[in-house]
Formats: sequence, structure tokens, C-alpha cells
Amino acid sequence: MNKKRSTKRTKLLKFSKEKSAQIKMTETIAVLFIFFVLVLFGIIFYYQYQKVSLVEKQQELVAARAMDTTLKVLFLPELICTKGEAEPEDNCFDMMKLRNVNKTFKEYLTRYYFNLFSYSRIYVTEVYPGNSTFILYDKETPPRENGNRSWTHREPTFFVVALKDELKGTAVSEYGLGYVVVEVYS
Amino acid sequence: MILTFKLPRSRRGQTEMIGLVVIVILITLGMLFAAQFALKEKPQKKIFTRKGLSYSTMSTIMKTTVYEDNCKGDFKIKVNPQIGKDLLEDCAGNFDYAPTGYSLYECRNQHSCVFLEEFITGLLNDTLGSWNKHYEFTAVLIQASEDEPTKLFDPPITDSKSGGCQRKERDSSGLFPIHTSAGLVQAELFLCD
Repeated sequence: MNKKRSTKRTKLLKFSKEKSAQIKMTETIAVLFIFFVLVLFGIIFYYQYQKVSLVEKQQELVAARAMDTTLKVLFLPELICTKGEAEPEDNCFDMMKLRNVNKTFKEYLTRYYFNLFSYSRIYVTEVYPGNSTFILYDKETPPRENGNRSWTHREPTFFVVALKDELKGTAVSEYGLGYVVVEVYS
Repeated sequence: MILTFKLPRSRRGQTEMIGLVVIVILITLGMLFAAQFALKEKPQKKIFTRKGLSYSTMSTIMKTTVYEDNCKGDFKIKVNPQIGKDLLEDCAGNFDYAPTGYSLYECRNQHSCVFLEEFITGLLNDTLGSWNKHYEFTAVLIQASEDEPTKLFDPPITDSKSGGCQRKERDSSGLFPIHTSAGLVQAELFLCD
């Protein structure tokens, strides 16, 4: 009788031990599952963030290029107001140079100006007293094989400039107001 | 018997320690990630453009020569006035007679202060306004150091949409001082988002 009871007890103990092991196993699996779900969420979130930050970085690079090109244009000796050996005037374009510079730009586009401005469009618009526009440089990215344009975005940078006109015929320099637009293709 | 009881207890402690360490690592990673977002640098282009644009606009406006009717005033020689050098100085000198009284220059048959307000508004609208930039143009006359500066344009010249750059992130052109017979005129242009 005692032996029978002991066998039953051993069986019960074995059963409860197995069950607790099973529960522990399920618990471990659940913890691991949650852990991997969290890791997966993290990976998805990181991937999305990277995707957005890559686009942002690309835009930043284009903006930086636009900034560089604008600075180059603002201090270009072919445009800036000069008077003999005196310091050039900043934020000022000479109208006399502006009226004729397009010819020089076209002539030396591939040899010189492309290295400076790359794929971009530069123009100056007179706001006061006139309203003329001077397109100085325009070089688009080469078209795709099917003939479509290859750029998707044009990043513009604006700068207001004084337009000095020596042809007005007075003793003192006279200045108009205009703006220069530098658009970078990307 | 003592050994069999001690071993699982220490092991459980170890497991809990590992769990804690994992949680601490995860929290640290999360905080680093958040800090990366928070300390992200402001876009360089925006700042450069705002600062450079406000300065270039202001210096250009100050230099601009005005070609309008009756602008030559009492002068017999053929000289067109400049905004900063001539008109702003005239406005400061004859501010007490504005808006309908005497001023040396009477462009568009207006007092120089009235004309300047109208003219600068037009120029800024055609440039900054057309690019959807918000701005505020101010000019004050300081007669004596203890005096309250007199606003030459009150309210300041602003774009029609935003109503100025008060309480906004803004960049200034810097002060453009002009010495006049009436005192020191300080003009400034603010650009904001």
C-alpha cells in the first residue's frame, strides 16, 4: 500500500515538474517573441529614419551646392562692381558688365564656367528702375535616354543686389535694385 | 542539499541582473537616439540665406537711386537722390513736418517720409515678399543719448501676411547708421520664417 502511494507521489511529482518546465518554456518563448517583435519594430523604425535622413542629406548637399554657387556668382569679377584698383563693392553688379557677360559665359562654358557652376541656372532680374531679366548661365543635367529631363528638383537661392549703371550720364554712380537667382539642378 | 538550494537562487539572481542590464542598454540607446534628434543642427543654408539676404537687401536699398517725378526738390543740378544718403536723411531732418508739410525732396509730390514708406514697401514686396519671406524694416532717429528714439516708420514696414518678425526666430541685417543734421538714423531689416 505504501509502495503504491509512493509510486503515485513520484508520478505526480514528475508530472508537476514536467508541467512547470513546459510553462517555463512557454514563458521563455513568449519573452523571446516579444523581444524579437521589439527588435523588428526598432529595425523598421531605423530603416524609415535612414530613408528620410538620406533624402534630407541629399537635399542638404544640393542646398550647400546652391550656396557655394551663389557666393561664387556674387564675387565673380565678370559681374561685380569695380573701380580701378579700389576694393570691389559687395552685393553689387555692374550693369555694363551684366549686359555683355552672357557672350563670355557662352564662349567659355565648357572650358571654364562649367567647373564653377556645374548644372545650374543663373539669372539676374532688375526690379527698379527697369524690369529686365538677364540669363547668365543655364546648363541642365543631360537628358535621359528616352529624351525626358533627368533632374527632378531645382533648388533656388535668391540674393538682392545693387545694379550700378555708369551709362546714366551723371557724375555720381547711380544704382538700381535687382536680384540674382541661382537654381541648382538635382 | 544546501548546494542544490543555493545554486538555482544565484542563477535566478544572475538572470535578473542580465535582464536589468538589457533594459538599461535599451534605455540608453533610446536616449542617445532622442538626443541625436534634439541636438540636430539647424540647416546651414537657411541661416546663411536669411543673414546674407537681409544684409544684401538692406545695403542695396540704402544705395538705390530714386528716379521719380519732382525728386530733385530745390536742387537745380541733375542729381537723383539715393534712399540712404539723401531721402532718409531728409525724412529725419523734416520728420516734424510729416506727412503733409515741408521736405527737401518731394518725390511723387509726397513728403520724403511718406514717399519712403511707400517706396520701400514696394521694393520689399517685389523681392522678399514675392519669395514668401517675412520681414520687418525699421528706422529710428536718435537725437540725444538720453532721448527715446523716434520711429521714422510707425508701425514698421512689414509684409502684409505676417505682420512683422516680433516673437519669431529672425535674423537681422545689422544696424545701418547714417549721421544726419537731425541726429543718428539707424535702419535695420529683420527676416524671419
